[in-house]
Amino acid sequence: MKKTALYQEHVRLGGNMVEFAGWQLPVMYSSIVEEHNATRGKAGLFDVSHMGEISVSGKRSAEYLSRLIPTRLDKLEKQKSMYSVFCNETGGIIDDLFIYMAGENDFFLVVNAATLEKDLNWMREHLIDGVDLSDRSSDLTKIDLQGPRSKDILGKIMSIDSLSNLRRFYFGTFKYRGKDVMISQSGYTGEFGFEIYIGNELAPNIWNDILDSGKEFGILPVGLGARDTLRLESCYSLYGHELNDNISPIEAGIGWIVSSSADYIAKNVLVKQKAGGAPRTNIVFKMKDRGVPRDGYRVLKNGEEIGYVTSGGFSPTLKIGIGMALVKSGTVKTGDEFDVLIRDKSVRATAVERPIYKYNDIK
Amino acid sequence: MSLIPDDLKYTKDHEWVRMETDLIACCGITDHAQEMLTDIVFVELPEINAEVKSGEQIAVVESVKAVSDVFSPVSGRILEINKTLEDSPELVNTSPYGEGWICKIEIKNPREMNDLMDASAYNSHVEAGD
Repeated sequence: MKKTALYQEHVRLGGNMVEFAGWQLPVMYSSIVEEHNATRGKAGLFDVSHMGEISVSGKRSAEYLSRLIPTRLDKLEKQKSMYSVFCNETGGIIDDLFIYMAGENDFFLVVNAATLEKDLNWMREHLIDGVDLSDRSSDLTKIDLQGPRSKDILGKIMSIDSLSNLRRFYFGTFKYRGKDVMISQSGYTGEFGFEIYIGNELAPNIWNDILDSGKEFGILPVGLGARDTLRLESCYSLYGHELNDNISPIEAGIGWIVSSSADYIAKNVLVKQKAGGAPRTNIVFKMKDRGVPRDGYRVLKNGEEIGYVTSGGFSPTLKIGIGMALVKSGTVKTGDEFDVLIRDKSVRATAVERPIYKYNDIK
Repeated sequence: MSLIPDDLKYTKDHEWVRMETDLIACCGITDHAQEMLTDIVFVELPEINAEVKSGEQIAVVESVKAVSDVFSPVSGRILEINKTLEDSPELVNTSPYGEGWICKIEIKNPREMNDLMDASAYNSHVEAGD
């Protein structure tokens, strides 16, 4: 099993280590609820080094990527990032990813750990002359600093002016202990924050510097458990749950990423679904009655099975069960009630608007 | 180090029993169990009057992350359930042997109590990492 460059720090901090996508990572340090609340109210620090990073360079990079993603690449500019997916020929999602544009012919892709090999195979299969791929996953540590106090904390160890100029989804290169660090203003929690990409050798330094700087603001190290409850409240998709090889972006509720006019893979299917609808749709819900919906639980409307919970859990912010479900299109609209089958009992839920927790920008 | 009161009996699945009379057993999950679960957010209680066998699943305790079954330490009939846990499941975390009790069972066969562990046996069981 692989260990991140911060493994020793997690052990020292009392992290409860579990296996995730082949990596040893902390599921929590003290309490998922405390770590969740620290991120919402103050700041949380996450080791997400398991994520894959792939460089795409060469003079035909943009042309190459335009073939692989359904999203307009020409909207991207230097020092900006955007969310997209790779789709297979039938429109199913191979992976979801962030694309960072470092230069005209220089892109940096952040993909999921469990799908890194699948992504690389897909990318190699469709490779064209004039494009180079490089898997940088094992050299880089990825640390997310999230929460309303993130800027105050990072500003103590970096130039606060340049951090303040960083708009959402933009990134830059910063100096830390004489080395280059890539930082974007983005995240996966619904809070203002930063994603930091740094060479493994300096990872323990920056991790501990951030924790020290953050002490006065109430920072906590945060494990995968709260990472999941935070993203669930924000209704962000997770590969293997809302997204997989048999679910299209339209079905997954992220149809807005289908915007490209280029000739990309699965264009016919996706354009048709975006205009005319897809057989299934992902809905967001809150439990009306007591109960915690969990992944895979069946969803019923008027006694008839209409789908299943793709992600479910307890919301520490709302203190009720919440979730997302993939259901037959047209069966549930916002405000409708339906049932989630919890241990063979029907428990009432209400479909609500997405997201459950709105992005909390800082002033 | 979790709390293991001397006057209770324990199961290998981390339930505890306190005899309130010769025939009434109050049950819950141990301090060690709640520490492992952390952040308990939901408790599914048994039905009053249900007949249960020892080792049978009688309740469910859910933490943020996981769903855990609670097994009956003894055979008998459910006399009383702790309804307070429906609104305050966190009592299982904060007071596992007190306000966080789960149910009271009218015992059928008091000799079953001999199959349960005392505090020192349960302590060894916890230290062995089960």
